[in-house]
Amino acid sequence: MAVWKAMQNSARNRMDKVLLYAMIGLVILGALCIMSAVNSLSFSNAIVRTHLVALPLGLLAFAFGWSFNYQIYDEQWKYLYGFILVLLIGVLVFGSYQRGSRSWFVLPFFSMQPSEICRVCTLLVVAAFLDRRRREVDSVSTLFLTGVLLAPIFGLIMLQPDFSSVVVTLPALFVLLYCAGAHIFYLSLACVFGAVAGFFTIAWTYLYLHPELAEHGLGFAFYQLAHNGWYMAGFTLLVALLGYGTWWFFKQMRILLPPVYFVLTTLVVLAGLFGGIFVENQMKPHQRKRVETFLAPTSDPQGAGYNVLQAQIAMGSGGVLGKGLFSGTQSRLGFVPEKHTDFILAVVGEELGLWGMCLVLGLYLLILWRIVIIGYMASDRYGFLVCCGIFGMFLTYMLVNFGMLLGIVPVAGIPLPFISYGGSNLVASLWALGVVQSVYARRIRA
Amino acid sequence: MTVVKDDFSQRLKILWFLALAVGAVIALRLIDIQVFRHQNYVQLAERNRTQILYQTAPRGRIFTSDGVAIASNSPSFSLYYLGANNLGQEYIVRLAEDIAPHVHLSSSVVLSKLEEVNRTGKATALLENLSVKSAAALQELLPYYPGLYLLEEAKRNYPYATMASHLLGYIGSMDDREWKKRDPQAEYRLNSKVGKNGIEKKFESQLKGKDGGVYLEVDYRGRVKRIIQDKKWVPGSDVYLTLNFAVQKAAQEALKNSKTGRGAAVAIDPRNGAILALASAPAYDPNIFVAYSDEESTGSKKINEYNLAIQGIYPPASTFKIITAAAALEEGNLDIHHKIKCTGKYDSGPRIFKCWGTHGPVDFFDGMSNSCDVYFYAVAAGMGPAPIERMQRKFMFGRPTGIDLPGEKAGNLYGPTRRARNKTYWFVGDTLNLSIGQGELLVTPIKLAQFAAALASRGNVYRPYYVDKIVSNQTGKEQQVGKTEILQKADLKPQTYDLLYQALKHTVDNGTARRAKIKGLDVYAKTGTAQNPHGEDHGWFMAFAGREGEEPSIALAVFVEFGEGGSSAAGPIAREMLEAYFGLGAYAPKEEN
Repeated sequence: MAVWKAMQNSARNRMDKVLLYAMIGLVILGALCIMSAVNSLSFSNAIVRTHLVALPLGLLAFAFGWSFNYQIYDEQWKYLYGFILVLLIGVLVFGSYQRGSRSWFVLPFFSMQPSEICRVCTLLVVAAFLDRRRREVDSVSTLFLTGVLLAPIFGLIMLQPDFSSVVVTLPALFVLLYCAGAHIFYLSLACVFGAVAGFFTIAWTYLYLHPELAEHGLGFAFYQLAHNGWYMAGFTLLVALLGYGTWWFFKQMRILLPPVYFVLTTLVVLAGLFGGIFVENQMKPHQRKRVETFLAPTSDPQGAGYNVLQAQIAMGSGGVLGKGLFSGTQSRLGFVPEKHTDFILAVVGEELGLWGMCLVLGLYLLILWRIVIIGYMASDRYGFLVCCGIFGMFLTYMLVNFGMLLGIVPVAGIPLPFISYGGSNLVASLWALGVVQSVYARRIRA
Repeated sequence: MTVVKDDFSQRLKILWFLALAVGAVIALRLIDIQVFRHQNYVQLAERNRTQILYQTAPRGRIFTSDGVAIASNSPSFSLYYLGANNLGQEYIVRLAEDIAPHVHLSSSVVLSKLEEVNRTGKATALLENLSVKSAAALQELLPYYPGLYLLEEAKRNYPYATMASHLLGYIGSMDDREWKKRDPQAEYRLNSKVGKNGIEKKFESQLKGKDGGVYLEVDYRGRVKRIIQDKKWVPGSDVYLTLNFAVQKAAQEALKNSKTGRGAAVAIDPRNGAILALASAPAYDPNIFVAYSDEESTGSKKINEYNLAIQGIYPPASTFKIITAAAALEEGNLDIHHKIKCTGKYDSGPRIFKCWGTHGPVDFFDGMSNSCDVYFYAVAAGMGPAPIERMQRKFMFGRPTGIDLPGEKAGNLYGPTRRARNKTYWFVGDTLNLSIGQGELLVTPIKLAQFAAALASRGNVYRPYYVDKIVSNQTGKEQQVGKTEILQKADLKPQTYDLLYQALKHTVDNGTARRAKIKGLDVYAKTGTAQNPHGEDHGWFMAFAGREGEEPSIALAVFVEFGEGGSSAAGPIAREMLEAYFGLGAYAPKEEN
């Protein structure tokens, strides 16, 4: 008893209670929803068992992250970086090939997905790197070096390939860079790069959907851009001339801007184009299907748009109070696909209704709010940056999962931490919150 | 408190407020979907998970005024297999062999359906539209093969086959375009049968019941999980006609057995304008559109929809002499006792007109009862054509009767002003042709029946109606549909009517309409034989009658195409109808000893 008392006393000021309760609430809700979602599946027992095994493991990871001094990650960041690379190379060599990608370690009793752990590790590593370069954090070289640091990680993940994992990590890194104080212009350039690459990809997909537009005129020229070297060269020249022209124009107007801005803008636009061409030519059919679905969700309700539509039907039919746990027809009869992983929110919406959705949304916002507060409490800059990164990660999870369901974001196979089934993700997410608690435990006291 | 005190420390806060804003947007969108569009999505979710095996509700029955159902329903069955899966080939083969002999199909046909059911697990109709006989045999199989399901539906049935078929119309499948036009509230399905003609079409919305159905819960692949509910159907409303079954039946049978089997008979109640019988021959059997699948089909599904009673136009011939007589009595100061000598022909000057016989000296009553052409030539020549045309207008010749049936022909009014409008000349010969109902004059059988009813009611030109009321099977509420409507009143002097009645009675008692003389009745009638340059003459018979000393209660017109004589061909039919109506002769109720 005495030990218990002592633990309570020490825990009182060493753990953020609101964050803890929000986390526990989500975990319990998640466990219930998973049980309900898989109830009708033939392999439901196996899933529930796995989840109930992963849960204590996750709590262990949470305790581990909390009790460890987070500054160790800062000091030993190079080893952490090495650990990431070893894990990712390991999975490529020893991993098992499932559903089109090699991203699983199959161990005797369970299997794990290293990219989930690596995502949190990557944030810790980048935070450490930015902490070290705090004097020149707004220089272009910092951004460039961060890119160099990340390239092998993303390269290895793309080799699996696990596109979704990259997609969900990038915004978190972006948040981290932004909060660390990276120059807005350079961040915007990165955005422009992403936007240009994304625009070209989406535009080409649009042309696939409407081939009559690509037959002549602008549409034809645009289509050729992806497949014809001459058009590419012409476009490159055009952009370069445009960049030079604007610089010259500003010079004539006596507005003196460093030419490096124009050179960089031009280069980034071109990089975006070639990035787009690369993605365009590398895209797998099921990935193109997802972009198509995003562009025209109702064009083929039995095809790719079917999933989103059925998820919305599930959610909408739940109404305010929901149909009750274990009673959702859409999920129980199999209309909602991937109901225990990517589309778990549809099950929440159907069975628990609006209040269930608002509960999940509210608990997530609560967690985000506590992470922000703890970030500002941190006793050093590294603690702040770690909180920024983890904030970015959970924000991305939340936005993508809700947005996907509401048809705002294309469908990406991304789970919702604590709610979705997925042991590795649960363990990694709980660990991340443990790290945040560790920052809280070692805060500066008022 | 914060150690991070550079210019960028506010950036995380900015992001947090951004996250809060996005959270609010998400919440609003959630409210939009889960509250405001809730009903819509509930419907979609229900549609997802339910498969309905529809059971067609009975259509409302159609009764004659004396309570005989001439359109009713009979049961029809469909055999379903609800969600079979992994049954084993042996089991299926045995089942197919058990089913096949009862439905006149080879077991391989049944087997292929069963194999499909077994593969997909969907509820599938193995056989549809089976008769009671097959269903009874299949019923015995149900306990041995769980999952087998017999679904009962109602199917239109016309127990008297051709009875009043031109009025009833028929039902049939909708085409795509028709389906889209249908009221979504009325729950039509693509394979619903709808009224295609006649009453079936006109009262479709009342006759149609609400279909029942077995609601199945299915998963995303359509595999049956369970039966949710069994919704009972609601039958449609019954329609009561003004038709008199006995008269209609007598008319149809007599027409069918007449000389050519082609013609029409229309009977109207002169007290209110209600149709008592409307028969056209040849008639069709609407049952051929709703035959059972396991019965042998009775040949082609082509039918003769031509309704001679309202669409056939012919010269009224001698029946028109009533108009000529009325015109002469009303405007021509006709001396009814003045005798005109009939020598079999009449010299109009440029041309000689013949009579159908040689009648010697005839007065008004002889002229009517013997239908002497020469008498009417002389009368018409004396007074000119204008009064005859005016009299036609009084009885609305050349206009449709306005009965609520599609495709009614107006016929043709004949007279000098009509001729003048067409900018051609009127000759004396035209007057003479007009006086005996030949020439350009054309009427439909129903027009002549309307005329007979107008005479019988002393001038009421009715719009005939044939639907009395609609009675809901659900609430028992009655809706009166048909009502007496007098289109026009033919105001003639009372003595004109008196003299016409005398003359028409004389025609029955001593003249050409002797065949319609029935003991116990006051029958007034006139025959007509329309000259047909293309073949045999057409026979007309128009009459009205009441019990002795009572006012007339039935007015009718009978037409037999190519029947030659009005008296010989059409007369017996009219007599049958009158006897049927009053329950006399062969129709007299049998006395019990």
